[in-house]
Amino acid sequence: MRANFGHIVIRIVIYGVLLFLALTMLLPFIWMVSTSFMDRYEVYSYPPKFLPDKFLWSNYKEALTSLPFDRFFLNSLIMSIAIVVGQLLFCSQAAYAFARMRFPGRDKLFLLYLSTMMIPGIVTLIPLFLLVHALGWVDTYWALIVPSLSSVFGIFLLRQFFLTLPKELEDAARIDGASEFWIYWRIVLPLSKPALATFGIFSFMGTWRMLLWPLIATRSTEMRPVEVGIAMFSTHFSTNWPYQMAAAVVVMIPILVVFFFAQKYFIKGIVMTGLKG
Amino acid sequence: MKSTLFRSIIILLLAILLLNYAWAEKIILHVAGWGGPRDREMWNYISKEFERLHPNIIVKPIHIPTNYKETVLTSIAGGAPPDVLLLDSVIIPSFVGKDLLVNLTPYAESLGIDLSIYYQNVLDIARFGDTLYAFPKGFTPIMMYYNKELFDQAGIPYPKDGWTWSDYLELARKLTRDTDGDGRIDQYGTMFGNEFYLIQPWIWANGGDILSPDGKQATGYLNSTKTEQAVQFLIDLRNKEKVVPAPEVAPDLGRQVTMFYTGKIAMMASGHWALVGLKEYIDKGKLDIGVVHLPRVPGELPVTVMYETGYAVPKAAKHRKEAVMLAAFLSGPIVQRKDVERGIEISSIKAIAEEVAAKDPYGVEKPFIREVINARQPWGTKVEKFSMIETIIKEAIDEVMLGGKEIHQAFTEAATKIDEELASEVILKTKPGLSDKVRILGFVGAELIVALVLILLLIGRTGGILRLRTTQAYMFVAPSLFFLLFFIIGPVLFSLYLSFHHWNIVEPSKPWVGLTNFKALLHDRLFLRSLLNAGFYSLYVPISMAISLAVAVMMNQRIRGIAILRTLYFLPSICSFVAIAMVWKWIYNPQFGLANYILGKIGLGPFSWLTGTSTAMLSIMLMSIWMSIGYQMVIFLAGLQGIPDYLYEAAVIDGANAWQKFWRITLPLLRPSIFFVLVTSIIGSFQVFGPIYVMTQGGPLHATDVVVYHIYKNAWDYLKMGYASAMSWILFAVILVVTLIQFRFFRYGLEYY
Repeated sequence: MRANFGHIVIRIVIYGVLLFLALTMLLPFIWMVSTSFMDRYEVYSYPPKFLPDKFLWSNYKEALTSLPFDRFFLNSLIMSIAIVVGQLLFCSQAAYAFARMRFPGRDKLFLLYLSTMMIPGIVTLIPLFLLVHALGWVDTYWALIVPSLSSVFGIFLLRQFFLTLPKELEDAARIDGASEFWIYWRIVLPLSKPALATFGIFSFMGTWRMLLWPLIATRSTEMRPVEVGIAMFSTHFSTNWPYQMAAAVVVMIPILVVFFFAQKYFIKGIVMTGLKG
Repeated sequence: MKSTLFRSIIILLLAILLLNYAWAEKIILHVAGWGGPRDREMWNYISKEFERLHPNIIVKPIHIPTNYKETVLTSIAGGAPPDVLLLDSVIIPSFVGKDLLVNLTPYAESLGIDLSIYYQNVLDIARFGDTLYAFPKGFTPIMMYYNKELFDQAGIPYPKDGWTWSDYLELARKLTRDTDGDGRIDQYGTMFGNEFYLIQPWIWANGGDILSPDGKQATGYLNSTKTEQAVQFLIDLRNKEKVVPAPEVAPDLGRQVTMFYTGKIAMMASGHWALVGLKEYIDKGKLDIGVVHLPRVPGELPVTVMYETGYAVPKAAKHRKEAVMLAAFLSGPIVQRKDVERGIEISSIKAIAEEVAAKDPYGVEKPFIREVINARQPWGTKVEKFSMIETIIKEAIDEVMLGGKEIHQAFTEAATKIDEELASEVILKTKPGLSDKVRILGFVGAELIVALVLILLLIGRTGGILRLRTTQAYMFVAPSLFFLLFFIIGPVLFSLYLSFHHWNIVEPSKPWVGLTNFKALLHDRLFLRSLLNAGFYSLYVPISMAISLAVAVMMNQRIRGIAILRTLYFLPSICSFVAIAMVWKWIYNPQFGLANYILGKIGLGPFSWLTGTSTAMLSIMLMSIWMSIGYQMVIFLAGLQGIPDYLYEAAVIDGANAWQKFWRITLPLLRPSIFFVLVTSIIGSFQVFGPIYVMTQGGPLHATDVVVYHIYKNAWDYLKMGYASAMSWILFAVILVVTLIQFRFFRYGLEYY
């Protein structure tokens, strides 16, 4: 009885903490949403204001129609889908080789992969643009998609997960004469849904929010993705916060939806939790 | 019958050919500018009007709402410059003194462009020697805005023409008030940040300057009594008189204007651009303002500074003559008459500017026009290394304002530093050899061949079954390796090449300098400091990992509503970073922020957060922890799914408690995920840039000057790409060592890591 009571107290404390943290996480989002309904005049009130005097729904209409957001969404969608699919495919292949196969040069090659993450992007921007320009890809989807088709981050992430898979299954398949590709495709990938879902989300998110590269690699407004669209509400001289936040809220929704539904792939839910005594 | 068919086919073919020809003859001109929704209508109008005059030319705007400088410079360096580009005082210094922009003077003569319609001193801003490199679009002198309502409430008369510094101080004192009587100041007399472009006119007004008239020397000018007096006057407003709110570490124009129109500051020095946002509220009757010239110093000449925007044509533009015609058109009367409706700047065309001022019902435009005769050309359009000079002066001001250094000492040191920079002006020019396009393609081709040869050699060396396996393995790796070599390692090699050269980005010349860049690093104390700062910053990683691991374990349960809770934790990772930065800036604001507000309620603080040298980095780290919890949690959650349930069940049977299960099962089996998060987060933390760039810009007093920000400044502000590349390679070495240490550490006692 006493032990049970103790558990309840611990649970309440845990959920209290979780809930409190969650509320702080919510803060910028609340600010975004409430700002998106405000008059420009209200944005910097003190004491801080969390609700607008009047909900200006017209901000949303204005923000989304004053720029071709339908086109921005289409561009971001094309870009994100292509990159997510490409990255999942290419990264999982490389990760499979690094995690499950033994071959000469493996560890050195892996270190080479990792080391490419260690040079800051701001000094490779110009050469990358030179390359894309030489290929004649400026202002095309190719420029937005192809340079990102592979990701060292993803390879590393998937490799770490592949390492934890039990070896027995693939050994059995190998004895049955299965090819490496079959093992990768039929055994390792299906077992790695949580990792693939995780990386899929990160990859989608990363692409959806790309700003600097699309800004440089495209020129016409018709080729811009959503993040550049959002930036267009602030200029050198002033920022229209309500409009910008209205656009940002709408742009966020796809990621939110993807995350909410992808969850079930990376949380199968454990009935017996680590906390139960 | 047959001949008719034949003939019609011929005609059709000819028609297609002609059409094709006509199509090919159309010239497309790209114009780069910043801009948002309102600019769209403007551009539709411009394209239509220009194409009506020149049917063979199509005008295409490139809207670059953010990172304008980097984007434009990259397109120039990449050999694909826009045909016409909009310049402003932020980007002009990058082009000054470089052989990059077309001299417009001869074209103005041959194309019959009338330059006399412009204000002459506005036109002169874009003159460098005898070259005119831009047609002026608009301009603004720096003026003082005041909120009439606040003056009325305090019962004080408005500032008048001819007012002086002591009048200004007097007014600022009277207008700094606690209006609601709660014991804290909620209205400040005026505002002042460390932005040099706003400080410049005060220095001139006092008869001082920062450089000698020829722009070649700072000593004797920057550290002259008159210059120091002016800066000290401004610093005293904050430190002694306390009539200004604590300035932002990373100034934000929109914020300043908003503080003004929400009545938190009574007087604000700014340009005409501030009027755009304010007019909206004046029109609605919510705001009543006046504009007056900056206060004068008795006995000195009336003077202010003037900034302009204008259209220039890069020499690399393909259709030079047409581009010049377009630039002239964009700055000409047809476009300007339409553009003044938006009112960001004052029209550079005298007749239009005066027309607008005459029509203005609030009387705020006229003072601007009256001040034109007193407006002087900023140094940024005359001195090549202005970005560097500006930074050095800013730092000196910070040292006095925040570090309590004596002003003469700080400014003398700054002047010496500037003089050294100006003297180090050894611009080696080389004949352009290989084009960069060829060079980068060469790098990529070479590395692809090397990689292929290496792999074939490796495969060849192995024998039997192993050979098949090795081949298979490399086939798995091949696609990602190809993309990696092509799009990442190629550019990386280019940066290695640059680290042994001088390169100012805008010109193709890249003289070989051997190890000079690396040697210079040894004397760059700021570089070492920025590396240490980044190292300190990376300490946030273990803290946030501990929190996110705990959260992940707690979240790994099937409970009603937990999916929503998990989504909440992920919010900071998906919220627009602009919004996050906004919120945290507001949280951290010393006067009006949430953190001090809440902590004040329980009797703590006030803390200086981002504005304090000892707290700034900690504040950034706190924000980073908060930002990364959700993202790390997701990785840990995915890792937790790989731990089989039966292990926990067995542990329960053995009588293990929750704590033991965590230490004995969860933690060891989660090691691959932990390793991943640690390694990637540490790599990321050594390269932190975004939060610093947005929140503090390396300040105050270099407290948050991290290495990638330092690299960024050198590359894009000082245009020292070679030096920046060299720094990147040192950073690379540091990160590599740190990463290898982690590999070693995790390998012990584990089959896998």
